Amino acid sequence: MNSHNEQSFVSKYIFSMDHKVIGKQFLWLGIFFLLFGGFQAMLIRWSLSNTMEPLPWWLLGDILYQNSPVGAGIIGPDAYNQLFTMHGTIMIFWAITPILIGAFGNFCIPLQIGAPDMVFPKLNLISFWTMFLASVVLLMSYLLPNGTAAGGWTSYPPLSTPVGGIPGLGQVFWILALTLAGTSTLMGAINYITTIVRLRAPGMDYFKMPLTIWGLFLTSILNALFVPIIAAGLIILLLDNVAGTQFLIAGGKATIPGGDPLLYQHVFWIFGHPEVYILILPAWGVVSDLLSVFSRKPAFGYKVTAICMCTITAFSALVWGHHMYTTGMSPLLGKTFMFLTLLISIPSAIFFFNWLGTLWRGALQFDTPMLFSMSVMWVFGLGGLTGLYNATITSDIYLHDTYFVVGHFHYTMAASVMFGAFAAIYFWFPKMFGRQMNSKLGKVHFWFSFIPLNMVFFNMMVMGYAGHHRRIFDPTEYEFLAPVLGLNNLMTTFAFILGAAQGLFVLNFAYSLLKGEKAEQNPWKSATLEWTVDYPIPHGNFAVVPSVYHGPHEYSHPNVKERDWISQSEPMPT
Amino acid sequence: MNKFRKINKFVFSGIWFLDPPKDISVDGWRIDNVIQYTDVVITLYFGIVVLAMLYFIIKYRARPGHKAVYDRGDTKKHVGITLGMGLLVFLSIDVVIEGMSFKDLNEAFWNFPKGDDVVQVEVMPQQFAWNFRYAGNDGTFGTEDDLIPSQNQMHIPVNKPVVIQIAPYDVIHSFYLPNFRIKIDATPGMINTMWFQATETGQFEIACAELCGNSHYRMKGYLTVESEEDYNNWLQSLDEEGPEDEWEDEDDENPTRWGWAWKEAI
Repeated sequence: MNSHNEQSFVSKYIFSMDHKVIGKQFLWLGIFFLLFGGFQAMLIRWSLSNTMEPLPWWLLGDILYQNSPVGAGIIGPDAYNQLFTMHGTIMIFWAITPILIGAFGNFCIPLQIGAPDMVFPKLNLISFWTMFLASVVLLMSYLLPNGTAAGGWTSYPPLSTPVGGIPGLGQVFWILALTLAGTSTLMGAINYITTIVRLRAPGMDYFKMPLTIWGLFLTSILNALFVPIIAAGLIILLLDNVAGTQFLIAGGKATIPGGDPLLYQHVFWIFGHPEVYILILPAWGVVSDLLSVFSRKPAFGYKVTAICMCTITAFSALVWGHHMYTTGMSPLLGKTFMFLTLLISIPSAIFFFNWLGTLWRGALQFDTPMLFSMSVMWVFGLGGLTGLYNATITSDIYLHDTYFVVGHFHYTMAASVMFGAFAAIYFWFPKMFGRQMNSKLGKVHFWFSFIPLNMVFFNMMVMGYAGHHRRIFDPTEYEFLAPVLGLNNLMTTFAFILGAAQGLFVLNFAYSLLKGEKAEQNPWKSATLEWTVDYPIPHGNFAVVPSVYHGPHEYSHPNVKERDWISQSEPMPT
Repeated sequence: MNKFRKINKFVFSGIWFLDPPKDISVDGWRIDNVIQYTDVVITLYFGIVVLAMLYFIIKYRARPGHKAVYDRGDTKKHVGITLGMGLLVFLSIDVVIEGMSFKDLNEAFWNFPKGDDVVQVEVMPQQFAWNFRYAGNDGTFGTEDDLIPSQNQMHIPVNKPVVIQIAPYDVIHSFYLPNFRIKIDATPGMINTMWFQATETGQFEIACAELCGNSHYRMKGYLTVESEEDYNNWLQSLDEEGPEDEWEDEDDENPTRWGWAWKEAI
């Protein structure tokens, strides 16, 4: 690793093979798209409560949609469909995935298992630049004359094929961008799995790994198994779009018999349901670890939590049918999927109680990462429990394709995962950038995110319970939706507060990066290995390969005097 | 019948503070019930979790003189308690709602009515309208005397079971009746079936619940529930007007199977 010291700027910061630099690159990319996708959410909310009114200046009304067919600065139905399609796609594949898996997967895995780097550094480099290429393709679709894809983030055919009536090449760009992003994810997943299996420091048994690593490990396994499946689905969708095939087209628009749109739904959800867990598992891992750090006691039932996460991972592959209860599925299949789905609540409940157990009799320190971690318990608790309505066939017949589902998955995917990501950013920022983030601003950011977020996503479920179906450009079209319109406006107000609060985060991030207080080596008194090295961490990480003596959460151990923690690489005094 | 609604209002005076649209169906109460049972139990569990968190936040907050108790939570007792709580959640929520749901599916939603009393309607959604087709006097679909009302107009008699079979012309749509708490997807290439029975007369909305293009948001139909007499008069008036089937000319080449033979016995 000696040659690493004499690198040019380009090979050190741009085409770097250092996992820490690649992690930061993923972080920049993820934060950019988080803001980009979040801004689109603001446009969606504006359009929902001010349908067909020009955008105000603070939503860039003087710049956007100037050539809109319904009037300058006005979001029409086509533009609205494009907005929610791209909002979903970007938030899932370009914001959450790069931040939690790309950034923290890269940054944490080698450091937390005591490895010098990823096992395939070059693959890591290619993984990031493939993602970058995917981003370029995605952003280019905004320049197309007919705009981006508009078939929803699920892009069900035949709507997403040429017979669906959506003009332009947006869908093709969407497929290409997603395929590239999937390729990037797959390369990352192979790298992560191999690194965790092969490069753990001496003594780092599987059951001594931090739960963050467990989460990332299981996520990577799911990615490696299921990304190829969505890739297959995307390729047949691409062929239907550009090569005139009709794999996924049937009915009156088909000219060749034998196509089946339902095939895509199965393929999509065989990937799509594990995808939910792909996103949430790293957040669960991070939260499990952080609750322990800030409670100053070991993670309650560490091994049980890890086993529960494995169980959920396995089950996640068996339940995709619960997204398709209303497709006319055979009763036997429907009931089987329902039973399997409900089984997941056992391991979920167990590890949730373990989180509570971690807090129990601790010494809770309410630093910003802890606030975000505890809020994950709140939002995931609500998100998980409201999943029961959707797992149950009869209530899902009513709630499917309503805002109830939208609220539910925003709680589980958006809120839980993003709060997990914020916890991770506030927590590892000192190790990534050598400075502390401002704690007061962080707490303001927390409260101005947590409260409005609940006001938006909980009310989505209320609206769904009142019957409001999804992807409706103008809710005033329906008489039965008249009672929800007031709530709709209230949600928009809170959504804008939520959006504005992220400005505080950006401000804090930028300010701390340049002028933040210099961080000590281990500001959180954390026991995992990444805190045993000084910032800046050299390429190659550890001067001496660390030996691991015990689990990742040895806080307040009675044998340790004078401080309340002991690093994994220090032998336990007797 | 809505025993849980009462508990619901009592426990948290309706946590979903908006009511769903008025239920005018024979079986909608079943769906309301399973939702309301779930409301009660999850509120209970979530309430316990939140109270515990609040208690821990106050009692175990870091302060001078307070130390965390070293406890890995991995003794047999601890693991047993968490396993027990997981099972408790499963038994008290999942098993109950699964039982309710299976019972409702077997007794109502998947128990299709049979006999002469049943009103049969074929539905063919297209971008962005609903087409309906009635069998006419001969009771057979795909014949000359089929009755086709103007688009987006569906009429049914009150208090009689209605079975619809649905297949779209172009893309996926979903036939959603908020006042009946039900919906069914219309997927090209397959015929789906759903049944319902109205208990009240009036005009209600039919919505498309599956994104189907830029005018998805206004793909709205009207369901008119009327007395048997009015319904028969309406059918009669259709008969006199003659069919308005814009698809009829294309039938030979059109593989939509509009006017398909009724699929018996599901």
